[in-house]
Amino acid sequence: MILYTLRRLGAMALILLAICAITFSVFYLLPDDPALDACGKTCSPERLADVRHAMGLDQPVVAQFAAYVTGIFTGRTLGTTGLECAAPCLGYSWQYTTPVWDLLLDRLGASASLAAGAAALWLVAGVAMGVVAAVRKGTLLDRGIVLSALTMTSVPVYLIAALLIYFVILRSELLPYPDYQPLLEDPAAWAGALVLPWITLAALYAAMYIRLTRASMIETMAEPYIRTARAKGLPERTVVVKHGLRSTVTPILTIFGIDLGGLLAGAMITETMFGLPGLGKLTFDAIGKSDQPVVLGVTLLAAFFITFANLAVDLLYGVIDPRVRYT
Amino acid sequence: MRRSAGLLAAALVTLTACGTKAEVVTGGENGKGGTLTVLATSDFSHLDPARNWTMREMMFGSRLLYRTLTTYKAGSSEIVPDLATDLGTSSDGGKTWTFTLKDGLKYEDGTPIKAADVKHNVERSMAPDITGGPDYAKNLLVGGTEYKGPYDGEHLDSIETPDDKTIVFKLKRPAGEFSYTVTLPTFSPVPEAKDTKVEYDNRPFSSGPYKIEKYERGKELVLTRNEHWDATSDPVRLALPDKIHVKQGQDGDTITDRLIAGSGDDANAIGWLHVGQQSLSKILPNPQAKERLVTMVTGCTDWISFNTPKKPFDDPKVRQAVYHALDKEAIQTAFGGPNMAEIATAYLPPTMTGGAKQDVYAIPPAGDVEKAKALLAEAGVALPLKVKMTTTTTSNTTETAIQESLKKVGIEVELNPVDGAVFNDHSGDLAKADEMSVHGWCPDYPNGSSFLPPILDGRNVMPTGNSGNTAFFKDGEVDKKIDEIYTIEDPAASNKAWQELDSAVMRKLPMAPIAWAKRSFLFGKNVTGVANHPVWAAQPDYATIGVKKSS
Repeated sequence: MILYTLRRLGAMALILLAICAITFSVFYLLPDDPALDACGKTCSPERLADVRHAMGLDQPVVAQFAAYVTGIFTGRTLGTTGLECAAPCLGYSWQYTTPVWDLLLDRLGASASLAAGAAALWLVAGVAMGVVAAVRKGTLLDRGIVLSALTMTSVPVYLIAALLIYFVILRSELLPYPDYQPLLEDPAAWAGALVLPWITLAALYAAMYIRLTRASMIETMAEPYIRTARAKGLPERTVVVKHGLRSTVTPILTIFGIDLGGLLAGAMITETMFGLPGLGKLTFDAIGKSDQPVVLGVTLLAAFFITFANLAVDLLYGVIDPRVRYT
Repeated sequence: MRRSAGLLAAALVTLTACGTKAEVVTGGENGKGGTLTVLATSDFSHLDPARNWTMREMMFGSRLLYRTLTTYKAGSSEIVPDLATDLGTSSDGGKTWTFTLKDGLKYEDGTPIKAADVKHNVERSMAPDITGGPDYAKNLLVGGTEYKGPYDGEHLDSIETPDDKTIVFKLKRPAGEFSYTVTLPTFSPVPEAKDTKVEYDNRPFSSGPYKIEKYERGKELVLTRNEHWDATSDPVRLALPDKIHVKQGQDGDTITDRLIAGSGDDANAIGWLHVGQQSLSKILPNPQAKERLVTMVTGCTDWISFNTPKKPFDDPKVRQAVYHALDKEAIQTAFGGPNMAEIATAYLPPTMTGGAKQDVYAIPPAGDVEKAKALLAEAGVALPLKVKMTTTTTSNTTETAIQESLKKVGIEVELNPVDGAVFNDHSGDLAKADEMSVHGWCPDYPNGSSFLPPILDGRNVMPTGNSGNTAFFKDGEVDKKIDEIYTIEDPAASNKAWQELDSAVMRKLPMAPIAWAKRSFLFGKNVTGVANHPVWAAQPDYATIGVKKSS
């Protein structure tokens, strides 16, 4: 088990390094010149050369990459004025004149709040409705659930967000415009700003989880051991929850790990539309302003969360399902 | 200031139909008090005065956070002394400029503002790490081009501060317009002790009516009163609200909807960005929202640049034929209609000519096809004439309208779409540029020297990287005239001379002006004193904005 975990952590580090290298070279190949963007509206060739040197862009790409990776562990000094970027230095945002790591930490709270709340909602609602639909297979209730799930998956997330904003905030004034505050500073404002984004994301994901749970559950409920459980005279509730759902949950957990990992690095459209200061909004602005260090940093963070969630889920399997326990 | 290809813009001081409210409606005592909320989609580009070179941020910074040697009157392109006691005195034929600071000026911590602090900020604007700011100081000051900033202990000898109140600038060429140049944030004070170099952008030290209480980049900026700012020394800034809260990271459409509804705190809010074409169609039919809208042309001009060294546009007759064939009404529609742009008839926008729209040719707005055909025949051009026009892969509505116009006279325009990121590289490259491309220019201050030389001076044409003179226009007479006008020290006389040069060059027509874009801003019902500023791209002037107590 320990050896397995270590091996997986090693693989994770390699994956992250590869993603870092690929993203880095993609930015290097783009026609956009960060030095020219920073330089100002008119920029003489001499001034441009100075700026490029100050930003470290006059170095060969391999040297730049090496400095970047080293900086993650040891920190760096940037520019010609001795600008400090402490470890873990994921580069420096010239746009925000702030180390990328500080920006990511600052924005993580809103994204994590959004992801956690939405995940709880969609996991509970999605799995519950999926189980109900599977157990009541073929009934009007089942068809209703399946149809609404299909509808929700087909609606783009920005439409859900726009409709919620229009009806809940603008028309009926049930809620004020979101004004996000950190949970510890103002819990009421925190929840108020997040309710609609939670619903938006949960609606999108729950639909997928309903379909997944239903299909998996129908399959499980046809297994011989379910028939045995029923023959033993167990209450139907115990049969469904303890015997049926438990084996259904494994594939759902796998997907859940990846979904949650991805969301922790920001939900770009939802955050942008509701004005949440999360990683998704940070990325959206960074792309618009060609702030490549930030885009690179968010990409790495997202990759970290996804690979880490994957590992966590794999380790959890053993707890849930004794058949896949590692020895 | 170069205009990027995707953005289309222009100018004029019409404070008309859309209800500009220039008078300040009083709320509390003298209209003072309250919190003004500014709703923005994203962070400022730069607030560091040495790096601030976008119209919106220049307005915001120099109205609220720092004072410059001279500045503009509220809602006007007329300049008045700000830190200085007068508009500066020149000697040595306009090559030496001396300013004296007013008595008793203080920073937010009560320490005195010294002439050396203005020198320090000008110097730091030339450091390689302090990017993005105006390059006028670098280009005008003796030794500026070679200077690399004060951080390695070197100082610029062409700025002298013989005492704490006096600052002297030594320039490379006579600059009659220098009183305007020193309105730029480059010419505001930054004390060396408070200079955090690159990170100064996160927390500029205030010499203006407000200081930064909190700035979380991309999230919010909170300004509170600077108690050490002396209102009696300041001819322009009213500093009405007690607090200014800029909320960044809001969705653009949501901002417009909030301002239209204007409920609760949104009645005290103003939009940071201008409203788009689609939002305008929501606002204009709504009388209670429409009266809270101010509109003005931006002060920028958009035009078609002809590749003048290359056939067929080396012949002015062919350029004039194209100009006569243009259906400018169709082009205006491509810009979003009369609410979004006016038809341009000269290079200098009306904001720089006291409102006059110069028009050398007086062609009907929909074009003069017969005259165009006659000019083509006169030039002996074989029809159909095939030319290429650079456009971007993302936006080509203007170019398509131009293409349609020219088809009528037998000119076949092939659009050449390139990635937006390389548009300027491509069209500014003497060897690669196509025959036509759409460009524009916004002046940095309302004097022809900030507009015509960057786009017309043939001595600026380089093999690559041309971003101003995109027609590669070289004309010895024009260059000579530019040098003559530089020496005129009276601003009114020099502006008149620039207008005459504009008309003279229009006859040669290296570029064909097409549009002066407009901008509209929406504000809540308690917000008072909102008026577009003609210099800062029609941005509402924050010097006079206040908040009325809600009734």
